[in-house]
This record gives sequence, C-alpha cells and structure tokens, in this order.
Amino acid sequence: MGRASAKDYSPSSSSSSSSPSSVDCSKHKNRTGASLSFASSMCQFSGCNSGCSSSTRGGRTRRGDLNTDLRLGLSIVSPDAQRDNWIDPSASKQREQRQDWPPIKSLLRTTLAVAGKADTSVSNVHNNNGDRNASLFVKVYMEGIPIGRKLDLLALHDYDDLISTLAHMFTTPIAYPNGDRADHAESLHVLTYEDREGDWMMAGDVPWEMFMTTVKRLKITRSDRC
Amino acid sequence: MDPKKSRDSAESARAAQFPDEVLERVLSLLASHKDRSAVSLVSKTWYNAERWSRTRVFIGNCYSVTPEIVARRFPNIRSVTLKGKPRFSDFNLVPQNWGADIQSWLAVFAERYPSLEELRLKRMTVTDESLKFLALKFQNFRALSLMSCDGFSTNGLAAIAARCRNLTELDIQENGIDDNSGDWLSCFPENFVSLEVLNFASLSSDVDFDALERLVSRCNSLKVLRVNRTITLDQLQRLLVRAPRLTELGTGSFLQDLNAHQYSELERAFGGCKNLHTLSGLHDATALYLPVLYLACANLTFLNLNDTALQDEELAKVLVHCPRLQRLWVLDTVGDEGLEAVALNCPLLEELRVFPANPFDEEVNHGVSESGFLAVSYGCRRLRYVLYFCRQMTNAAVATIVQNCPDFTHFRLCIMNPGQPDYVTNEPMDEAFGAVVKTCTKLQRLAVSGLLTDLTFEYIGRYAKNLETLSVAFAGSSDWGMQCVLEGCPKLRKLEIRDCPFGNAALLSGLEKYESMRSLWMSACKVTMNGCEVLARERPRLNVEVMKDEESSDGQAYKVYVYRTVAGPRRDAPPFVFTL
Repeated sequence: MGRASAKDYSPSSSSSSSSPSSVDCSKHKNRTGASLSFASSMCQFSGCNSGCSSSTRGGRTRRGDLNTDLRLGLSIVSPDAQRDNWIDPSASKQREQRQDWPPIKSLLRTTLAVAGKADTSVSNVHNNNGDRNASLFVKVYMEGIPIGRKLDLLALHDYDDLISTLAHMFTTPIAYPNGDRADHAESLHVLTYEDREGDWMMAGDVPWEMFMTTVKRLKITRSDRC
Repeated sequence: MDPKKSRDSAESARAAQFPDEVLERVLSLLASHKDRSAVSLVSKTWYNAERWSRTRVFIGNCYSVTPEIVARRFPNIRSVTLKGKPRFSDFNLVPQNWGADIQSWLAVFAERYPSLEELRLKRMTVTDESLKFLALKFQNFRALSLMSCDGFSTNGLAAIAARCRNLTELDIQENGIDDNSGDWLSCFPENFVSLEVLNFASLSSDVDFDALERLVSRCNSLKVLRVNRTITLDQLQRLLVRAPRLTELGTGSFLQDLNAHQYSELERAFGGCKNLHTLSGLHDATALYLPVLYLACANLTFLNLNDTALQDEELAKVLVHCPRLQRLWVLDTVGDEGLEAVALNCPLLEELRVFPANPFDEEVNHGVSESGFLAVSYGCRRLRYVLYFCRQMTNAAVATIVQNCPDFTHFRLCIMNPGQPDYVTNEPMDEAFGAVVKTCTKLQRLAVSGLLTDLTFEYIGRYAKNLETLSVAFAGSSDWGMQCVLEGCPKLRKLEIRDCPFGNAALLSGLEKYESMRSLWMSACKVTMNGCEVLARERPRLNVEVMKDEESSDGQAYKVYVYRTVAGPRRDAPPFVFTL
C-alpha cells in the first residue's frame, strides 16, 4: 500500500514532521508491555534495546532487556502486571494480561482474542490473518518441578501443536488420547488440565476450540497416575 | 424598598395564587437533568418544588457529592444513576481497590429511600454483600444495571434473583467479576413473572437451561434477552418460540452442527420475532448459519457483530437484509471491502464502531484503513457517531469524510500505532482534526490519535465550541497545546490525557476552568507534585488526587485525577491515592 512500515515510527525517519514527537520511547514501552506471545513474533522491537531514556515519564528506566528474555521464551508476566502490586490474586487469567493500549476494554480484548482464533479455524481464501498476536496464557506445571511455565494457547493451532510445544519446553515426550501412539509409546507423561469446574481432565478428548474455552491450567503428570 | 424584599413579596403573592402542588406537578413532567438543574436556579420556590418532584437523580462522579447531601436535597428519589471510576480504568490505568464502592451509598439509601426502585451503576465497585444488602432492604426494587463494575460474583446475583420479587430488569455488562457458576439463574422463584430485561451475556458459566426456559416462558413482558455464549442454537430456538415479542436479542454461540429440521425450526423461530430492533452475540457465526437471521432483520436498527469475525462478503450478505440499520458495531476483519458494503446497504446509518480483531497485530494490510472510512462517509451521510480503530490514516481522507458527514457529534479515531503520521505525506495529523472541529460544529465528543503537534489543540480550542469530552494520548508538543484547549472550549466537561508532554504550566492554565468541568485525568505527563499542590491550594473546591506507584520518582505526579466536589476530600482513599 505504499505506506511507511509500521515499525518505522521514529520521527527522525519521517523527514517532514514539523515537530518531533517526544513520545517515541513511550511507544516502545507500550510494545514491550503488549502481548508476550510464546511464538514471540513481537521480538521485532530490537530498537528497544538501545534503552532510550528521554521518556515523557521522566526518570523511568526503559526495560530494554526484556526483549532478550522474550527470545529465550522465558515466561514473564507483562511489566504492567508486575509493577501493579494491587492485583487481586484471585483474578481470572484474562485479567493477568494488563494492557493499556490500544484503548479497548479488557473483556472486549479477550472476546476479540477468541473471536480472532475462531476465524483461523474457518478456512477462507481471503483470510490472510495468519498472525495472531492476542494471547491467552495458562500456567503449565510438570509433576515434580515446583516452578511452572506459562504458555500462550492462542499461539497454537491444535493439540498436536500443544503437545509438541510442551514436549520441547519440558524436554520429555508426552502422550495424549488420539495422539500418535507409536511416537509416544515410551512416554512416561500425559497432559492433563484443570477445567472451569475445577476438575482435572485428560487433554485431548474435546475439540480444540472447546478445550480453549474451558482450560484454566495445564499439568504434565506421570502416566502411571492416570 | 429593598429590591430583594420586593421581589420576594411579589413572588409570595404570586405563589399564593399558584400553589406549590401545582408547580410540583408541572415540574414533575420535566425529565431532563439539565432542565431540572436550570429550573432549580430560578428561585427558592422553584428550587423546592423541583427537589420535591424529582424522582430520578444522575450523579456523574460519585465523589462529587455524598449520599447524605443527595438525600437531604431530594427526598423522593426512586431511581439513582451513579458513575464511579475515571474512564481510563477500563484500560487498566487505575489500580484495584481505588474506591467507588456502592456500599456507603446503599447504607444511606436504605434509610432515606427505602422505596428505591432502580440502581444504574457504571465503573463502581459492588460486593456480594452489597448485592445481598440491596436485595434485603429495598422491597420495591425493580431494576439493576451494572456496567463495567467489579467486586461481585454470581453469588451476589443469586441473592438478587432470589429476593427481588418485583424485579423487571437485571442487566449485567461486565468485566472483572467472579463467575462461580450459573446457578444464580435458578434462584428466580417459580412464581416470579415480572422480568422485562435480562442480560447475562458477559458471564461465562453454564446456566440451568430448563430454569432459563421456564423463566422466559412465564415472563410475558420480557422484551430484552441477552444470553451468554454457553447457550446453543437449538436452545436459542426454544427460547425464541417462547419470547416472540422480544425487541432486543443477544444470542449465544452461533456455531453448532444443525440438521435440516433444526435449521428450519430456527429460521422459523427468528421469523416469529417481528419486533426485533437490536441484535447482538452471534458468537463464532459463519456464513452457514447467518441466513437464519434474515427474516428477523427487517426492522433491525442496531446490529452488534463484535463477537464474530466476519469477512467482507459475509457482512455484505447480512446487511442486504437490514435496510433500516442505524447503528452497526463490527470487527475490522470485514476490512475496507466490508465497509464498502456498509456504504452501499445502510443509507440510514448514524453510528459505526469498528473494533480491531487483533489489537497487537502490526500488519497494516490487516483491518481497516482510511479507504473504508471514506467509503462509509460517501454512502452514509447521516453518520454522527464513529469509533474507528485503524492502522493508517491520512489528513486528506479525514477532511473529505467530515465534508461528507458534517453532523458528527462523536468522533473517536484511534490510529493504533501511537504517534503515527499521515502515511502518505508523513506529516502530523493536525489538519485532520482541524477539519473535524472546523466542519462539525455539533461535535460533543472527540478522541484524537496519530502524530499531533500543538496545532491540533489550537484548532480544538478555537473551533470546538460544543465539545464536552476530549481524549488525548501520545500527542502534543508543549504546555501550549493543553492550554489552548482549557482556554478555548467553553463546554468542556471531561478531559482525559495520557502520555503527553504537558506539565505544570498546562495544568495550572485550567485554574479558571476545572470547577465548571466534571473531571480531569492526566497520566504519564510532565506534571509534578508541586504543580498539583499549587492547584489544590488555589482551588479548595477541587479534589486533586495523585496516584503513586513504585515506578514514579518522588517529585513526579504520575497519575493525576482532578474533579470538582462538594464532599471534600475522600474519606475512603486507599494508601496509594494522595489527596492534596
């Protein structure tokens, strides 16, 4: 469409702007505060590493090093959530993603995320929205390991994708119903999840979309427990 | 003779011929709050007549007044509307436990307005205890509307359902509540029949469908029904045949495998809804099932497609059946082509809202651009309300849009990349908003975005004579910008600013203005504690509140909320709110 690239937002590169916006660093800030997709397609903000300090919020340090962490795939709650220590610990997982830009209400944001995901599952030649950067994070624990991870379910397409991502994350093969039994015949672990009603279920029985609306957290348990 | 005395005696002479009861009767016909406020300033007699005849009170900022003051002035209130937190709390800019708790109001109302019938709350904190208190203390209670409130759970709703015998309205538009289970809906007694409005679309748990079906069957006056996503299409069909007089419907999931018989039953059920003027929900709707709606769309004036990611062709097919549409909310998955279909099919359109399906997606050829908005402006000349999220815009396009549609009252443009210039000329978007304020003389509400210098605010100050609400983010060059607005817009009531280079000089330039406004919000600007202290000292009838968090350095006032009040400083301020 012949427009300047979306990433090209520093005023020095737009030659004819009459007065520089003093807020370009705040823009960077909001990017790092934005959705931390596990697939990490947001890591294009390499410009943030320059740690610009001429922010409108005088004295606030830039979190330029956050991007390195993103690339390593470490689970990091969004910076706004971290600094906001008045979060009610019983808050739903939708509220953990504390975003303040663009100005859309939280409930609408979550609804959009799921609506957007539903769109992918409807095959349509006009659909070029392959990149889903809204997120739905759930905690993942492996039995025996006290520190958990976090995983963005909206970055995944289906159970196979989920299993292979988790197997990679925890470096262990995982079995699930309807999975490829040959590959995972030797696996000691299965994937279970806690649903909205608080029950622990084996992952893989219900359709993926239905799973996404009911899952609260994941646990990789030893297969001899199931 | 003292002119005042002569006036009073003349007035009381007149009053003797014109009893208070008559005056009250006449004034009771006044509905508008603004009219009533004007009337109450005429004279003491009129002030008294007005206060005795007022039954509905609207309080735009719950901290501007105390419940005791309200109850003292208005003895006969039946309906209360209260708004609490600043609007930017919708975007997570206000920490939890900030305040705006309804309980202190309910405690006073229980004593002074035991016949209270309606409570409409926006951005207030409401606990389950408060809901239980409400259900217990107010025997005549009829209508509860909670919009963007927090602090309660479905347990509180159960109390309302169980105890409010005369309930006509239960309208929950929420985020941030605990949905423990859908059992609350089963708490309506079997002999309860008065419900007219039921909206639980934003709750996520399953409800007992049989209980819902029975409820809908026996409430013959039900006009508004918005169910949540757990209600399936075949369940919807059963509800519709029991409520053919619905005027507003919010469906549940629109994704289900239906056989031919079920499909035609559903189509027939929609066909039976002759009075539908508002439709929403339609979660995950696709081209396959949307046609069941068509028979119900002839009189549709408001279509809310926020919960379904339609493509342009799907939207076009639906719109062909909605010739009377006045309000349309869509996701930007419909693209510019979808908006062209809007332009073609909806000549009566007055309101358009386009939301981003993927707010963090940067790809500029996703979503909508200036050409979609332009197309709509050519086809829908009656447009007066627009909320438009896009990834690119030009000054020229906006200028043409407002030329086509000069009657805008609400113009909210969000170019999602902060500080983005006109993508063709690389210039700031000043001229775009200049065109808006120059051309749209009726403009009441404006939200600006993109790369903006002080020139935008000069235009706003100079031309936006009817502007009441202004939202600004990542804009402006210096204090001068904010000063132009504060010294210019005579009707300004709400000003909310974030991430702008406005400092103390800008803040203090509004000294003469803030008492005529409802509130000012400034966050992530250059205001310091000193500036706020000066403001507080000069204007004791304002509350100047500063919110601190561990990020902000000592002298900086990171989040400032200023509002006029007759209630004095808040007594319930949490530790992170400092009233200066």
